[in-house]
Order: sequence, then structure tokens, then C-alpha cells
Amino acid sequence: MKLIKLGMPVFLVLLSIVFLVGTYNLPKAKLGNPDAPLYFPMGVSVLLLVFSIIYLVQELRRANETNEQIAEMLSGRTPLLIGATIALGIGYALIFELLGFLFSTLLFLGALLFVVNGRKKWVANIIVTVVFSFASWYAFSELLGVSLP
Amino acid sequence: MDAFLEGLLTSLQPINILWICVGGFLGTIVGMLPGLGPATAVAVLIPITFGMDATSALILMAAIYYGAMYGGSRSSILLNTPGDGSAIAATFDGYPMAQKGQAGQAMALSAVASFIGGIIATIGFVALAKPLSAFAIQFGPAEYFLLMLLTLSAIISLSLGRMVKGLIAMSLGLLLSTIGVDTQTGVYRFTFGIPHLSEGLDFLIVIIGIYAVGEVLFNYLNIDKQKKEKKEVGKIWFTKEQWKRSKWPILRSGPLGFIIGVLPGAGGSIASMLSYTTEKQISKKPEEFGKGAPEGLAAPESANNAASVGALIPLLTMGIPGSGTTAVMLGALIMLGIRPGPLLFENDPGMVWTLVNSMFIGNIALIIINILLVGLLVRILDTPAKILYPIIVILAFIGTYTLGYSTVDFFFLLIFGYFGLLLKILDFPIAPLILAIIVGGDMEQNFRMSLASSGGSVGIFFGSTIAVVLVVLTVLSLFYPLIIQSIKKLRGAGPAAD
Repeated sequence: MKLIKLGMPVFLVLLSIVFLVGTYNLPKAKLGNPDAPLYFPMGVSVLLLVFSIIYLVQELRRANETNEQIAEMLSGRTPLLIGATIALGIGYALIFELLGFLFSTLLFLGALLFVVNGRKKWVANIIVTVVFSFASWYAFSELLGVSLP
Repeated sequence: MDAFLEGLLTSLQPINILWICVGGFLGTIVGMLPGLGPATAVAVLIPITFGMDATSALILMAAIYYGAMYGGSRSSILLNTPGDGSAIAATFDGYPMAQKGQAGQAMALSAVASFIGGIIATIGFVALAKPLSAFAIQFGPAEYFLLMLLTLSAIISLSLGRMVKGLIAMSLGLLLSTIGVDTQTGVYRFTFGIPHLSEGLDFLIVIIGIYAVGEVLFNYLNIDKQKKEKKEVGKIWFTKEQWKRSKWPILRSGPLGFIIGVLPGAGGSIASMLSYTTEKQISKKPEEFGKGAPEGLAAPESANNAASVGALIPLLTMGIPGSGTTAVMLGALIMLGIRPGPLLFENDPGMVWTLVNSMFIGNIALIIINILLVGLLVRILDTPAKILYPIIVILAFIGTYTLGYSTVDFFFLLIFGYFGLLLKILDFPIAPLILAIIVGGDMEQNFRMSLASSGGSVGIFFGSTIAVVLVVLTVLSLFYPLIIQSIKKLRGAGPAAD
């Protein structure tokens, strides 16, 4: 829990430093004021750094307090559901253009439904997967003219 | 007047009436789903507008927006689970009414209250939009920059007790908006060698990631705890007594909600809570509030629907979204090639008045949908979240793909989905982040244009009455919560000292 509570402000501090360093390394503009593209991101990076440090200090002060939401995220089936959705999403991204919309959606939605809705409800999972995949393909590709692979 | 009539005729075209009904119905369904509100409804349903002409797309999105506002209260009444923040007040008396076997009456009352609130606000829109857009034409780059700053500060000031997190969310949003080629000088900024980022981070992907994927991931926290409740709807119309008690609260809350909706930063949640507390304070039977008082349901329903129409005024007249949902709508409008702002009323009055008239028609359509189809809507609510959430995830992927036809965006979608989950868990306000990403680019350009025109002097930000007023309002909005807190502390310390 502490890892998540303190991880976020640390991540934000590091991110603002990355952007701040990145701002210094930006190429100079060839048109107009050469430093013009720097000012805004530099100012905002500094703001983010300052607020993130305040946030880090606040979190360090209450590092031992329990956050129920984090506890829930780490308990029961929730980590599996979150992890599976992201992992399957990455898989979907990798096969989407390779297998085409219809087939990859059948696989992705089917797998996600089996994880979220459970194996026992396999009939409902299969029906929803097939009906939704075909219906969405027809609606987007045929009715709305969206180009799908 | 000609533009108004032209708008009326356009909105009455069968295809546009169809889009109003489709948008209203789909918005109602998504808005009904616990945990998902209007912002998610618009974000998830954006792909439907692809391939449509701009006017129809605008009509459809507005219908989705206020359809979701209607839908949010369905789950408040039946499940005691609000679809979003603005539907929370509907749980106070709506759910007790349902427990007393008056679910049908509560739903009919909330639909009629929403309808009247929406109509009052639409009349307000007709009266205010044109003068406001005429006023906005006087704004120069400095005033626009300050107006955007005011909007951001107003939204942050509403993040009571989490100011620092609001400021972080805003800074992060502004920083993300700087990614990509700088349009004024052609300099590549923060692309980290990823060619895909040269055009910047598509804010719609951030929006869909946070509002659709992030919300679903967050709702996983309670997915196994959702109880299956038997929903008895009962008679679907309210009694004369209920109407007698509700009519004045509805009529009072409509204008109140509309005014709050117009203000930057405020939105449906504040409008509904304020109208609820106001009605409770002036009621002759305040003890009945929270136990199924019809006016306790009707007033916030009228106010939050009126607020949703009011929020369209700053969005369309100045291009300034005042809430997370209107920020999502602005993103979708920009994608459709519609640039909201004062010139929209000059250049395309037909589109604006078509939208206004579609709101009248939309409110009529929604009251019909919500009363006649109540049985169907209740059955949809029976669909398990375990099936609906994966479908929402898939819709998010489809929507993302259609934005740039690239699967690289899927990775950004997942990153922002997970990031959205963390933000929600750690209690960060999301609206400042979304708003900052959307207005960040314009803010920077206006900031630089102001400084260029003044030779680098910051005096330009105090150079006109409008600018000074905006600066004062920005400072006040940021310090207002601190002032209120200090006053409360002082008052609290007073009696103790005695």
C-alpha cells in the first residue's frame, strides 16, 4: 500500500524533472524568439515539481494511514481483473491488425468476458461475444463507414 | 429570427429527430450504469458521430449528454447507486420512495422535473447565448488566456480538501498538452523519439482512457459486491399530492441549476446539492427529507438537468468547457471540425439554433423514453455489470482506433486507463487534468501571442477592465476555499475559547 501511496508522488516528481530537463534540451526556434517554445512547458514543469514535492511531503506524513480504496484494489479478484484487462488489451493491440477487427475482437472480448464474468457463465459469454463482435463490426464498418482492418 | 426558424426546421428533419432519440436512449443507458456518468457516455459513444455531418453529430452528442443526465437518476432511484456525481442527490429521496413501492412514481417525477428543468434552461440558453457571444468577441489573446486560467482555477477550487491534487492534475494536463510540434515555431517538444507523438497526444485518447477504461478498472473494485435487487416499479405516474409538493421546487431549481451550470467549474453535482439543501431549508416539512419526500427528488433533478444545458453556454460561446463532461464534448467537437467560440454564432448560426431547438425536442423525446420505456430501461439495469464492463472496454478500443487508425494508440489508451484508475483511487480530481489537456494548447498560444504583442511585458494581463476582473476572479476562486475554511475555524474556535 505504501508503495502506491508514495509511488505516485515520487513518480510525479521524477516526471516533472524529466520534463524540466527535456525543456532545457529543446532545440531553439528558428523563427521569432528562439526561446519561445520553452517558456510555457518550463513554467508548468516547475509548477508540477513544486506541487508534487508538497504532495510527497503530505503523503510521507500520513504514510501509515490506511487507504481503503488501495486495500480494495489489492484484495480479492480485483488485481486479477485489472491485470487481465490490461494484459488482454496489450494482446489485442498486437493482434488487431494481424488478425483483423472481427477475429481479434472475438478473441479479446471472449477472453475478457471469461475472466470478468466467470467460466460458469460460458453460454452467456459466448453469445455476447459473438453478437457484440458482429454487431459492432456491422455498425461501424457498414453503417458508419469506419475503416476497420 | 431567420436563423432560429432555420434551426427549428433542421432539427425537425426526421434524420435529426432519429439522432436525438438514439442519442437520448444510448445516453440514458450508459448514464444508468452505476459508476458511469455523462462524461463516460459521451467519451464511449464518440465513434458513433464519425461519418456524420457536423450538425447531426452535435445534436447526437448533446442528446447523449442530457440523456445520460436522465439515466443517472434511474440507478439512483432503483439501486441507490448514482450514475455520477450529479445524480447523488436523487438517491436521498428517490431510493426511499422506491423502497416504499413508489419507484415508478419517483421515476416519472424525476423525468418530468428533468424535463421542466431542461426547458427552463433552454429558454435561458436562447436568451443568454447571443449576448454572451457578442461580449466574448471583445476578448483578445490576454483575456482568453485569463479566462482559461479562471476556468481551471474555478474547477480546482471545487476540489475541496484536495487543492494540491487539483493543482497537480492541472499542471500535468498542461504539460501533456505541450507534447508534439510547436505550431508557432515547428520545434519538436517531448516526443521522446516516438514519431507517433509528433502531432501531440490526442486528448480524446486520454479522455477515453481515463473516463472509459479507467472507470471500468475502478468499478472492478466493487464488481463482486453488487447485490441483485428485485426492482418493483409499481405505478408509473405520480399523485396529485406529490405534484403539488414538487411543482414550485422544480420551478425554483430550474433557473438555479441553469445559473450554476453557466458558471465555470460548477456543474450538475453542485446544482443538485444546492437545490436540495435550499428546498430542505425552506420546506415546511424538512423532517421528511431523506425519507422519500417527492420535492427532495424533484428539485435536484430539475437543477442538474438545467445545469447541463447551462454548461453548454460557455462551451459554445467561448469555447471554454466548465466541467469534465463539457470538456469531453469540446474534444469531440474539435475533432469534428467545429471550433466553438463567439465566431460560431457569427459564422454558423444555423448550427447553433439547430442545437437549441434539438434540446427542446430532445427533452420531449427523453420524457417519452423515460416514461414509456421504463420497463425496458429497468430490464437493461438488470444486465450484469460483469457483461457490460467488457463491452465498454471494447467500445473504448474501437473509439480509439477510429481516431487515428493506429494500434499504437491502444497502448496510450491502456496507460491512461491505468493512470485514471490510480488517480481515482488516490482521490485526484479528474476534471482539471482533462480540462488542462484540452485548453492547454490554446492557453499557451494565447499566452505567447499576448506577450509578443506587448513586447514581453506581463502588463498586458492587466491591460483592460475585463483582464483585471478575470485576474481578480481567478485569485478569489483559488483562495475562496481557504478563506471559507479559515472563517469556519475561527467560528469553531470562538465558543471553545469562551
